[in-house]
Amino acid sequence: MVIEIKKIDRVYQTLLFLEKDKKEGVTAREIAGAMEANRANISRYLNQLYRNGKLKKIEGRPVLYKSLSVENKNPTSRSLDTIVGAKLSLSKPIQQAKAAIYYPPRGLHTLLLGGTGVGKTMFAELMHRFAIETENFDKKAPFVQFNCADYADNPQLLIGHIFGVKKGAYTGASRDRDGLLKKADRGILFLDEVHRLSPQGQEMLFTYIDKGYFRPLGETDKEITADVLIIAATTEKPESYLLSTFIRRIPMMITLPSLRERGLEERYLLIESFLKEESKRVGRSIYINKNSLISLLLYDCPNNIGQLNSDIQLACGRAFLTFKTENKEYMMITQSELPDHVKKGIMKIHQHRKDVEDILKEKGEILNFSYKDKNISDNSEATGSKFFYDIIEKKLNSLREVNIKEERINEILNIDIESYFKKHLDSLPAVMKKDEVRKIVDDKTASMVEKILKLASKRLNRDYDKKIYFGLALHLQKSIERIQNGEKIYHPELNHIRVTYPEEFMVAMEVAKFIDDKYRIEVPLDEIGYISMFLSSNPYRTRGKERQKTGILVIMHGSSTASSMVEVANELVGDEHAVALDMPLNIDPETIFKKALEEVIKIDQGRGVLLLVDMGSLSNFGDMISEKTGRKIETIEMVSTPVVIDACRKAMLGQDLYQIYRSCKDISINRKRPQKKKVRKKAIITTCFTGEGASVRLKEIIADRLQDSENIEIISLNILNHEHFLTTLKQYEENYKILAVVGTVDIELEEIPFISAVDVLSGDGIGQIEDIIKNEEIYLKIEDSLKEHIKSLNTVTLVDLIRKAIKRIEKKLTVKISEEVRIGIVLHISFLVEKLIKGDSGIVFSDLEKFQKEYKEEMADIKQSLLSLENKYKIVVGDDELAYLCQMFLENKERY
Amino acid sequence: MKTILLVCSAGMSTSLLEKKMCQAAEKKGLELTIRAVSELEARNYTGEIDVLLLGPQVKYLLNTMKELMTGRSVAVGVIDSINYGMMDGKAVLEQALKMSER
Repeated sequence: MVIEIKKIDRVYQTLLFLEKDKKEGVTAREIAGAMEANRANISRYLNQLYRNGKLKKIEGRPVLYKSLSVENKNPTSRSLDTIVGAKLSLSKPIQQAKAAIYYPPRGLHTLLLGGTGVGKTMFAELMHRFAIETENFDKKAPFVQFNCADYADNPQLLIGHIFGVKKGAYTGASRDRDGLLKKADRGILFLDEVHRLSPQGQEMLFTYIDKGYFRPLGETDKEITADVLIIAATTEKPESYLLSTFIRRIPMMITLPSLRERGLEERYLLIESFLKEESKRVGRSIYINKNSLISLLLYDCPNNIGQLNSDIQLACGRAFLTFKTENKEYMMITQSELPDHVKKGIMKIHQHRKDVEDILKEKGEILNFSYKDKNISDNSEATGSKFFYDIIEKKLNSLREVNIKEERINEILNIDIESYFKKHLDSLPAVMKKDEVRKIVDDKTASMVEKILKLASKRLNRDYDKKIYFGLALHLQKSIERIQNGEKIYHPELNHIRVTYPEEFMVAMEVAKFIDDKYRIEVPLDEIGYISMFLSSNPYRTRGKERQKTGILVIMHGSSTASSMVEVANELVGDEHAVALDMPLNIDPETIFKKALEEVIKIDQGRGVLLLVDMGSLSNFGDMISEKTGRKIETIEMVSTPVVIDACRKAMLGQDLYQIYRSCKDISINRKRPQKKKVRKKAIITTCFTGEGASVRLKEIIADRLQDSENIEIISLNILNHEHFLTTLKQYEENYKILAVVGTVDIELEEIPFISAVDVLSGDGIGQIEDIIKNEEIYLKIEDSLKEHIKSLNTVTLVDLIRKAIKRIEKKLTVKISEEVRIGIVLHISFLVEKLIKGDSGIVFSDLEKFQKEYKEEMADIKQSLLSLENKYKIVVGDDELAYLCQMFLENKERY
Repeated sequence: MKTILLVCSAGMSTSLLEKKMCQAAEKKGLELTIRAVSELEARNYTGEIDVLLLGPQVKYLLNTMKELMTGRSVAVGVIDSINYGMMDGKAVLEQALKMSER
């Protein structure tokens, strides 16, 4: 597909080249000859170019083709001065561009800087046109365009493409071939994404820039001269290391402003010109209501003009569809024609009300844009859009012919438009999509979150902005994953939330039900607490006052790695919370350390700082800074963008350093080695309010009375602060298998048994502990022995998951089974899982139907409790199996 | 020759134990018939049985089986859960032999 696109460009360039000498037009045969290609193929490309509005076709025998761009230009006005913003934000770039062209003898080589979609290609084209208009360049001066990313994985090919190839330079180079530099002689060579050029290619380019000649690939003695103005473009930031050599060698540097920097007034003008262009393509006026226009003015459009244009095209496509299918009199854009992310623009009206009113005053409720109005810019070449409208119309007619209902047609075509634009967006460079939340959150979650927010805003009569949408989507994706894996979700302030936000909590319950149905999971109460927080109007304030937040500092090797990660994270989270520190390779670690130290002091609000780093010496920074300053610091290594996003989000939610640390660690560890559990030492926790009184005494008693106590760590902790205790406990759980918590007050932990201090002092507490230890040892042995029989699975994980599932089943069915039976069931399920993975046929439960009828709910409960296993091992536990399990639990239950 | 019947709900987990018990018996030079069967098969088993052992997960069948086997001089019991958990064929075999002596 990529090659196809390139080929069409080459056909076009060849035509431009041949056209110089053949003013009446060029035939397909001539182009095919010049390119040594099949004529039929060339005709196909020419037709496509014609349909795209790039060529003029002169019917006859043979058919002649002429480019439009040479003919169509308006000689009186100069292109550069007519583009939107020429007198505003673009005035300086335009001045620079003119200077570059005027500079004798043939202009200054230029480096164009700016983000994705700011219009670098168009700007380069305009410079070319300007050079011709001012007669600095010949009328037929070529404009050759090339994207260095196209062959970036094959540097030799790329160099050959630009500088040409000498016959025999490599296998397959059967003849001399000119490069683009030669083809661009006396004109402009536009090199997009120039930072993708290999070092060798850069060196060759610089030689040409300095000396005016170059050598094709494989050529040793002959130097070729060419008279070419190079315009190089890149999305890299000017301070980027990659660009430093370019900046030194290329004299003119022009930075194009982002859409945001261009301001609302200019954005309006851009919207106007895009709508008029669309109007020209459809050949009729386009109407738009005021609210939709406001949305277009205000929505977040990080990929600049390019994105603005494609979003407007999508809206026009939909409007055209409605217009055609419903036989409307006007082609009109309303909110329902806008893409969802554009619609959200209207929500920002309160921040910009005055500016918007200034722009739209006296414009009425419905605005009309037509290509017939003056002031239409014909700067941009017509793209594939005409073709696109044709497709809609053609499809519409053929669907009507086969008598498909109107609403169904609408649906089908809508999908077509979406997929067209999806393709369109896919073809854009990777940075384009970085902030599209759907890139990070899957479609299912994203659309569910939309529904959730719709429901919530109806129930609570409240609007939710993009920030909440992003936040909730990211959050739910993670939580659902956790629930499906059978991992615990824990909310430290559940009760507080429940009391503070009773309405939100009710709605969150409803939302949870919705998620339950959708994912066949059970959203725990703690998670409902989190959802309530998102639904309460200001989620980042849980206690009415602004809380201090944990600091996030990202330090990475490379000159822009950290800053670009932080940029993405901050944008998604909607706050400039995380701080980046880039570490270019040529700067020594000590300097960076000093900077890191300063940053930590600056951003620490008293809740500590989380350092997110990639590797090497950076990993030790945290400890060193902590030693020097006494501040709380944790470090996560091998950090990727999702980790940074997660950390920011959690910090904004007011979570403390250790909570964030743990959760980030989970993500980064999951990435590196999924599901590998280390052997954990066993531990018993003793508690009291101070952590120094009773708990220490209990520790001594247990150590004294317990046999085998040298293999068990006994840790005394205070429970003064419940939240803090739980976090500490979780930290210990990383390295220890916590057998029991012993203390005066039952903290009611679900997964860890509690033994009361009284029992330890005067009852059979020690006996209870010993039972637990024995039990754990049995399971250790079971895991070991299973390893021999079930070789394909990690039996430690398997047994762990099964034991948790059994606990859930006991809870749901309110039955209790003996340890003896429990072991039997663990074995039973282990072999069942193995059997199902192998795909062996199931067993049959006699009289299943009758049993199912009687124990419908119990079976459903068991099914749900086994979800973590089903998901983990990609198996489905059938009804017969469920019935057997159900019987095991119900028939074996112990009498209380 | 003695016959030992191992029973679990579908004969799935006990079939491995059956194999391991056979190996243990062979080592001891004992000639035994050891069969892993499902609950249903056990109920309808008409051949000679000396020992009937239940997997711990179907412990609830103990009384039913005892009733079913009355008058047939069959020792009925539950496999020790720890031995079962470790699929210790040798230990379970010993348990079965001890039961048959009584």
